[in-house]
Amino acid sequence: MLGEAPWMGMDRWFLIAATLLAAVGAVWGIASVHRGRRSRATVFWIMAAFLCQLGFLSVRGQMRGACPLVGTGEILAFLAWSLTLFYLLVGPAYRISLLGVFTAPVVVIFQGFALIPGVLALNPTRVIGGNAWHETHSAMSVLAYGALALAAVAGVMFLVLDRQLKEQHLKSGLFRNLPPIRELLTSLERLLWLGGALLTVGIVAGFLMPRTTLALGHPIAAVVVWLSYLCLIGIQRVRGLTGRRLSLSTVVLFLLSLVVFAFV
Amino acid sequence: MEILCLGLNHRTAPVEVRERFAVSISQQGKAAQDLITQAEALEGVVISTCNRTEFYFSAENAQSAFRLVEKHLAETIQFELDSSMAAHFYRLEKAAVAQHLCRVVSGLDSMMLGETEIFGQVKEAYRLALESGTTGGVLNKLFQRAFGIGKKVRTETSIQEGATSVGSVAVDLAEKIFGHLKHSEVMILGAGEMSRVTAQSLVSRGARSIFVANRSFDRAQELAKEMGGSAVRFDDWQKVLERVDVVISSTGAPHAIVQRADVEQARRARKYRPLFFIDIAVPRDIDPAVGEIEEVYLYDIDALEQLAEEARGRRQLQIDECERIILSELAKSKLPGL
Repeated sequence: MLGEAPWMGMDRWFLIAATLLAAVGAVWGIASVHRGRRSRATVFWIMAAFLCQLGFLSVRGQMRGACPLVGTGEILAFLAWSLTLFYLLVGPAYRISLLGVFTAPVVVIFQGFALIPGVLALNPTRVIGGNAWHETHSAMSVLAYGALALAAVAGVMFLVLDRQLKEQHLKSGLFRNLPPIRELLTSLERLLWLGGALLTVGIVAGFLMPRTTLALGHPIAAVVVWLSYLCLIGIQRVRGLTGRRLSLSTVVLFLLSLVVFAFV
Repeated sequence: MEILCLGLNHRTAPVEVRERFAVSISQQGKAAQDLITQAEALEGVVISTCNRTEFYFSAENAQSAFRLVEKHLAETIQFELDSSMAAHFYRLEKAAVAQHLCRVVSGLDSMMLGETEIFGQVKEAYRLALESGTTGGVLNKLFQRAFGIGKKVRTETSIQEGATSVGSVAVDLAEKIFGHLKHSEVMILGAGEMSRVTAQSLVSRGARSIFVANRSFDRAQELAKEMGGSAVRFDDWQKVLERVDVVISSTGAPHAIVQRADVEQARRARKYRPLFFIDIAVPRDIDPAVGEIEEVYLYDIDALEQLAEEARGRRQLQIDECERIILSELAKSKLPGL
């Protein structure tokens, strides 16, 4: 019986632990940057948070008997995991600890929302008759959001550095530790391409999965988001955009794209 | 046995005196050997840079050893060691020698506080002495300990942080914008000395190519050849603007050469990539309105000088901490001859 399984109830504890570890990583990183130093420890805190996220998803997946992407709580937790995953994959190309300083708070916010009572189902129902297209759609879409979230994080880093360079405020520890403008823009563009590609697979899978309802809100919102990112990538590729506009668009578009989850 | 140091530096002697005592790098090993054979020192190391010449040696009796080394120097460079000349030298003994050497390798005794070059120069002087067989248990331990303390001072304080000259501030900013400069192209407007020095700093950090535009095309060609770049006719600089990442401007023009419209025209072709303008001319060559363009970062001579001054000030604030580390580390060391 599921109710008697030893992992029952552990999911929430894994998520709490992951949130606390990410919060420690954020505070640790911010304190280091404030002192004008880079701390490699940030990445270890986030790695520990990542392991706890894996624990959460694993337990939750067993409880669901499918990919744990049912309801806002699971989606937010999966999104936080995806963001952490991309940070750990892409991080070495940046100054890893500093990207962590910007990423960890976003992870804490996502997981914090998921932990609000009522958001994450306490006794998740088992998914019956799962469909491969459905799971591909959910997993690819959330992975895409992880990449796009990290692109937004890189965008925020760019905006901070751009402002400091423009206003010639170059004394802070943050300025000394931020990666160069060109590297930030290159990473942002690559993450946009990666996120765009994953989102395309997610959207295509979404159209191929069997539908149980006639609700149009979610697919329309998803297609609008997908087209918006496509436009952004296309304009940047063909015409070019200033770093500031590209970063601002990435951040705003990511925040607006979260609306899609309102229709899930 | 005592450790001793006889030396002069930029604080105690003007350049015309320092240059008489300078020992070229190829002669430093031999000079150390001469200290032992001619001046009866037991061990010896000779350090000579553009700002200092110092003789580190060990001897049984300090006063007679100083006399012998001074006599040897007077003979070597054929000068009269009268009181006016002798006043340029400092004579240090025992613990003061160790403290001084640590200050030297840490950059605290340098003309540019915290500069890093001196560390390598002292290491090289020590290596040459070691290879010449003029060091033994006393000076080996002293120098190795000083290198250890020098590293500690440099890593645990901010004594070498921040660029302290206009050229190095410009290079640091270029790296903050473009990362490694190997993918960056540079254009120089006006073939003045300041732009040449700044451009050379960028090239030394890997800048891919240099374009020189000057009213006198001959001068542009001359400078371009010197820097391994290409000369551009002055009327064509706007075209080059479409491809470069950094523009260094230092013409003698009485009015702004680069107007906002010039840059606006190149933006589309540049695909709005970041562009760094360094204006080191007075009066300024670049209209301040250029800095209002989104992807443009514009720094004039005042901004660069202010940043360099701030870095120098920050280094000054580190001196006490550096001295504390040196004293505390030396107190822990059991160096012979102190």
